[in-house]
Amino acid sequence: MNRFALAQPRTFAEASALLTDKRYSLPVLKGGGIDLVDHLKEGLTEPDVVVNLRRVRMDGVAPGSPSITEANGKIQIEAETTLTDIVNSPIIREKIPVLAQALEHAASLQVRNVATAAGNLLQRPRCWYYRHSQTECLKKGGSTCFAVEGENKYHAIFGDGPCHIVHPSNSAPAYMICDGVAHVASWGGEITLGQIGNERTMLAERSIPFGELFHMPDKGVRSENNLKSGEVITHITCTPAPQSGFYAVKEKQSFDWPLCTAYVVLDFDGAKIKSARVCAGAVAPIPWLLPKVDEALKGIAVDDDAALRKACAVSTEGAKPMTDNAYKLKLLPATIRRAVLIAAGRPENTEVA
Amino acid sequence: MYDQTPSDMPTTTRPANAGSSLNDNASRLDGPAKASGRAKYGRDMYLKDALYVGFVRCPYGAAVLKDANTDAAKSIPGVLEVDVPLGKEGKYHGHKMGEVVAESPLAVKRALRALKCTWEKKPVKTRITDTVTELPEPGEKTAEHFKSAELTLEAVYTTPVQPHSCLETHGGAVEWTDDKAIAYASTQGTSSVRDGIDKHLNRPQSEIEVVCEYIGGGFGSKLGGPGKELTSAATAASKYKRSAYMFDSRSEDQTDTGMRPSSQTLARIAFKKDGTILGGEIRTWGGTGVAGGGGGCNVPSGRYKLGVSKPRDGHKDVTHNGGGPMPARAPGWPQGAFAEELMVDEIAALCNMDPLVFKRKLASEDVYRDMLDMGAKMIGWENRKPNGSQTTAVRIGYGIGTASWHGTGPGGSAEVAIHPDGSVEARTGTQDPGTGTRTMAGIAAASALGVPLSVVTVRIGHSTLPKGPGSGGSQVTGQIAPTMMNAAEHAKEQLLAIVAKAAGATGDDATKGFDIKDGVITRNGKPHLEWKQACEKLPPEGITARNKGELDPGKGGNQGVQFVKLSVDTETGVVRPLHVVAIQSCGKVIFRKGAESQVIGSVIQGFSNALFERQVFDRNIGTVMNDNLEWYKILGPVDMPKIETVLWTHGQTGVRGIGEPPIVATSGAVACAIFNAVGRPVRDLPMTPDRILTAMASAPTGGAKS
Repeated sequence: MNRFALAQPRTFAEASALLTDKRYSLPVLKGGGIDLVDHLKEGLTEPDVVVNLRRVRMDGVAPGSPSITEANGKIQIEAETTLTDIVNSPIIREKIPVLAQALEHAASLQVRNVATAAGNLLQRPRCWYYRHSQTECLKKGGSTCFAVEGENKYHAIFGDGPCHIVHPSNSAPAYMICDGVAHVASWGGEITLGQIGNERTMLAERSIPFGELFHMPDKGVRSENNLKSGEVITHITCTPAPQSGFYAVKEKQSFDWPLCTAYVVLDFDGAKIKSARVCAGAVAPIPWLLPKVDEALKGIAVDDDAALRKACAVSTEGAKPMTDNAYKLKLLPATIRRAVLIAAGRPENTEVA
Repeated sequence: MYDQTPSDMPTTTRPANAGSSLNDNASRLDGPAKASGRAKYGRDMYLKDALYVGFVRCPYGAAVLKDANTDAAKSIPGVLEVDVPLGKEGKYHGHKMGEVVAESPLAVKRALRALKCTWEKKPVKTRITDTVTELPEPGEKTAEHFKSAELTLEAVYTTPVQPHSCLETHGGAVEWTDDKAIAYASTQGTSSVRDGIDKHLNRPQSEIEVVCEYIGGGFGSKLGGPGKELTSAATAASKYKRSAYMFDSRSEDQTDTGMRPSSQTLARIAFKKDGTILGGEIRTWGGTGVAGGGGGCNVPSGRYKLGVSKPRDGHKDVTHNGGGPMPARAPGWPQGAFAEELMVDEIAALCNMDPLVFKRKLASEDVYRDMLDMGAKMIGWENRKPNGSQTTAVRIGYGIGTASWHGTGPGGSAEVAIHPDGSVEARTGTQDPGTGTRTMAGIAAASALGVPLSVVTVRIGHSTLPKGPGSGGSQVTGQIAPTMMNAAEHAKEQLLAIVAKAAGATGDDATKGFDIKDGVITRNGKPHLEWKQACEKLPPEGITARNKGELDPGKGGNQGVQFVKLSVDTETGVVRPLHVVAIQSCGKVIFRKGAESQVIGSVIQGFSNALFERQVFDRNIGTVMNDNLEWYKILGPVDMPKIETVLWTHGQTGVRGIGEPPIVATSGAVACAIFNAVGRPVRDLPMTPDRILTAMASAPTGGAKS
């Protein structure tokens, strides 16, 4: 680990200012610090300043006030809310169960207690070639994606490369199907140190729908998201989706990265599905929307298992499995079907005594 | 003493294993120290003004070190020494190439990074099948049997490389002073460290102490001398006349501290429809990394009368670009047992036989049949459905595994001291790698002396103590329990002689009628003196007694049977462990909770072997991709089955260790349970969802001749 300065901004504007401060060449943001510490230990990041956002709240909120709120049909989650607080929030559990369920499955309780909403979204991929200090992969400026001819069991089955990571967060796919919007702020002016303190007037704000937050590797392999330099996520908003559900397939049930996840929001017309939005995780470099499955689920009664399975089977269209991950073609429809049943309030009983 | 009449077997009307041991209620003596962090491990020994050593290691399966920025590394403040042999070829990821010595751990890391080594990669082999590209032809007799048999099975079973993954990584620290050097080693062999380290410290053995009070796991990888880490620390200490420290990082521990070799087992068995085995052959291969040997795979084990043997040239060790093996908890046995148990179940399935009936029939000893009967009741075997007969998405599977182990020979020494204040010390130079040795030794001393465990302080893990055995081969309890009891009995004789004399008894049989029970000195069965009052009569130096001669731990073997119940989600391939009944014998039990914990720990590790553990080598560059505990997966809390242990004492004599035997049974039992649930065998460890789904989609194998 190299030596670095630790900066403790009071506001997102100050944080943004630090990111563009010319005194520093490699600033990094820290939420809970989970992913950052992994990077520091492996020597993947050598920042000269770590900007600690952990205690930063949105402008104008009273200290101690809830960081998850609901107003005008929108749910708002502040960037530095911990995953545990999201999981335990009555608002989230009732209005967006898919998000609560997904984050309940993330990492371990210890990690969830410190990991943050924004950090979860912006964590770098867990690809073991990217994470290994000894493999100079495309993401680190090298010329090879080692996964293509190497150990790709946990890699993507969708996308044309050139990098085959899977998106790591458990929360982004949920926001994708709940009209999620990431709100970002950046310092608006030229930086000279004395300016800090006028942050509110100098703040530029921007809203990015989740569908535009992440990009595929062919649009830039060194990064995964479309935030511009100096931009900091301040909060996330999304629309309630009470009929929603999540299902994950993991090798280990304690503290493991999923092999495949599915996120489903349903709207019913009587017993039949009126509309559906489906997103899959751990199968593509970004949260993987499945509009064809959305379409195929329309008009189906969840009781009609044959029809349901047929609709879910559409999910693998266009998949290009690698040497060791074709098994995900079997997992994906099964995972979506389970998530649909959970969203419909009819979970399949997979627990046996 | 230790060969006292065993207790009855536990029944459902009283707690399991009650009355099975010398001390049913004792908890680990070091539990509070370990749980509170008060216990200091070797890795915790950050000594004043110490130097730190770091290794330059090959990051690929095979690569030549072409260049390194030595000047940049030397210019880092605090760096004393940079030794990088240009032109040397690394043969595996983690292979030690050179060294850095510096004033702080940070300086070591920065120097290693500043080197920016340039490597020329070479082609690698990472699997047994990279070398063994085709299977040998069957022998003449096997070919004959295959022509005439009603049914045949030809199957290949494989297990992967499994590093030991000790929680406390390998290494040691040396405290250097003018009058002595103290080596704080994380070792399974305190005495072997002193014998191996003197020439590196360049001091006489009389000036060297080895201390190993606590070890965070070993599993066999911390046997055999000081290891390369402590050796390097000792060399630096000697050179600079300063304390020195070298402990591996997690990645280094996962790649270069020994491993359980991979294995491949080929079984060709010919049999009749009624399960009568006509003949066949079993061949095995061991994947030993860069080492030329040590890859044994113990099948056939002799626990089943198979009538099939391994030809004389039936085992071959195969090298690959990985670190070499170190003994891993029952070296070679679980690999063989996995193949054997599943193979036997596959034969049973082809004959439409219940594997319980078949394994009962094949069992080589009656004790296995008795254990099978007991375990079948406890797990609820009657609820087992025939292989592959379930149609629900989530299916239940039941499986059986068996275990055996070789006995224990005599060895080790011990000393018991009684102080005039009534406190007792039980001393032996062996060590406790988390197995419960410390508590076992205390119980042995207390019970032979006739005092409560609370008055006994156990001193272990120090080279100045009477030499104890290395923690390997499950030998320690078998050696130290009788030895410690013998020392305690000698101490007791001396104490009783003093008490008798004070009571006016004289002559050769002065102590006749005197005894010690529950901390009270009795005479002719009646209370005579409190323990403390008796000890007040001792001379100021108290009593110190050693064991006399080598104590035979008694005859007998370890047998075990495990039943596993689990569920398999056939749409996702996910396995959920549900229930394990683990029956294990180890002679007379000394420390009940400790023995149970060894069985429980074996089941957990065996289940991890079965479901998750695999060293993942990149097939092109040979780098270990899961050199961490994030992707090197082991069973976590949510994955734990209910584990019931039975310490089988019926007919048991002698005393034996229980560290290794129970792990032999587990992975095979899990494989059989998965086979039962899904109707297809998964012949490769770990049995991960992808492999289960693939096996389910495969055609049935073996079977009737056309």
